[in-house]
Amino acid sequence: MTELRGKVLVVDDDPINRRLLQRSLEREGLTVEAAGDGGVALERLTESRFDIVVLDILMPQVDGFEVLATMKADPKLRRIPVVVISGLDEMDSVVRCIELGADDFLAKPFDPVLLRARIGAGLARKRLDDLEAEYIEQVGIVAEAAAAVEDGRFEGAMLGEVAGRSDALGRLARVFTRMAHQVEQREQRLQREVGALRIEIDQARAAQKVAEITESDYFRRLQSKVHDLRMTASDID
Amino acid sequence: MSRIVAIHSFRGGTGKSNTAANVASLLAADGRRVGVVDLDILSPGIHVLFGLDQSGMGHTLNTYLWGKCELTEAAHDVTPAQLNGGGRIWLVPSSVQPHDIARVIHDGYDVAMLNDGFRALIKDLALDVLILDTHPGLNEETLLSLALSHTLAIVLRPDHQDYEGTQVTVTIARKLKVPNILLVVNKTPEVFDSDEVRERVATTYDCPVAAVLPHSDDLMVLSSSGIFSLRYPAHPMTERYRQIAAALMR
Repeated sequence: MTELRGKVLVVDDDPINRRLLQRSLEREGLTVEAAGDGGVALERLTESRFDIVVLDILMPQVDGFEVLATMKADPKLRRIPVVVISGLDEMDSVVRCIELGADDFLAKPFDPVLLRARIGAGLARKRLDDLEAEYIEQVGIVAEAAAAVEDGRFEGAMLGEVAGRSDALGRLARVFTRMAHQVEQREQRLQREVGALRIEIDQARAAQKVAEITESDYFRRLQSKVHDLRMTASDID
Repeated sequence: MSRIVAIHSFRGGTGKSNTAANVASLLAADGRRVGVVDLDILSPGIHVLFGLDQSGMGHTLNTYLWGKCELTEAAHDVTPAQLNGGGRIWLVPSSVQPHDIARVIHDGYDVAMLNDGFRALIKDLALDVLILDTHPGLNEETLLSLALSHTLAIVLRPDHQDYEGTQVTVTIARKLKVPNILLVVNKTPEVFDSDEVRERVATTYDCPVAAVLPHSDDLMVLSSSGIFSLRYPAHPMTERYRQIAAALMR
């Protein structure tokens, strides 16, 4: 059997149950943290990243319902799968938990094979969920890069992480980055060339050159008789 | 009436002679009698475009300036074979002989003779138009050419030095009351928008732009042998030369 991998938060007010669960999950290869109360569990969830939560329903202070409701209302915690632990006589509560967003349930006393299967399934779901979330996030980065190209604020490093993917999205990011770079270079070249089209004349120097010519005797003579010099219709017959 | 057209650029290498040769050919293709004088005495070249072999050719502009012939005797009929509509082209070349060029530099010549020569040429050959392919810069014979011309076409490249030189030339030409001054922007990089170039240049000098001609290596190769507009009459470049020819006669 392959080892499970991931970080589990076990929440149970019963210390024996808690330890039992912790030990059997650790034997499966998982990293486990335990909390004896819903309040402590919510604190840990906000402090650290967990892949799955194993949650007892009945707890003295903050119970499982409240933990579930709080998690599902929090966008950062909403996607963490929750497996509810229940006694066989608590089916109403299980149904309520599932309605609140729990993914699965586990009856006491735990059957180790069933425990492993349920946790494994939850983790697999979480992994797929994470992949999908990452994919959507990275598609968003590509879309943002496209907007950046349009606004002229694209930088090559923007797609670095996405471009590292080996799938079609990674390829899109690499091609996009390369094309954006080419477009940018072409634009820069054009701008340099358009710069050359700017007509800037040193008027003082031009005037100086004009004066050097117009102040010569030759030019003055030429200017004074220009009307006689240029042929008119009467010159030709 | 006949008119004198000076084609000038402040600096060399703008494509001035090429423009002059193409425009002369298109005017002749329309049936006009066209004279062309190579006033670029220090570095003659337009005869090559008209296929005139100077070895043992006889009289040149230099011969006239030294009083050894009439200017009309130095005019060679270079009408291209393609023209059959009655138009003609006569070219007065400048000598390419090193000693002739050296003598001009050393002794100079009587610039005033040009005026008499041009009038005689126009009359003797019944020219509709006389095109003066001037020497770059604004020396005495170029100033005289401007004073004689009815139309001045200034060929420039879109670069800083040409912009300034063009400013000087336009100012001088206005002081000499040249009735029709127009600009030809040549060797324009193809990435430039030619309408934009036309507008900016026209606004800068308050002067019409007859045409904006693109630069391309292909054109350089094609235009190095013979008259481009006669060899490639349907080429877009020829259309631009037509625009210049029309503007010169306006």
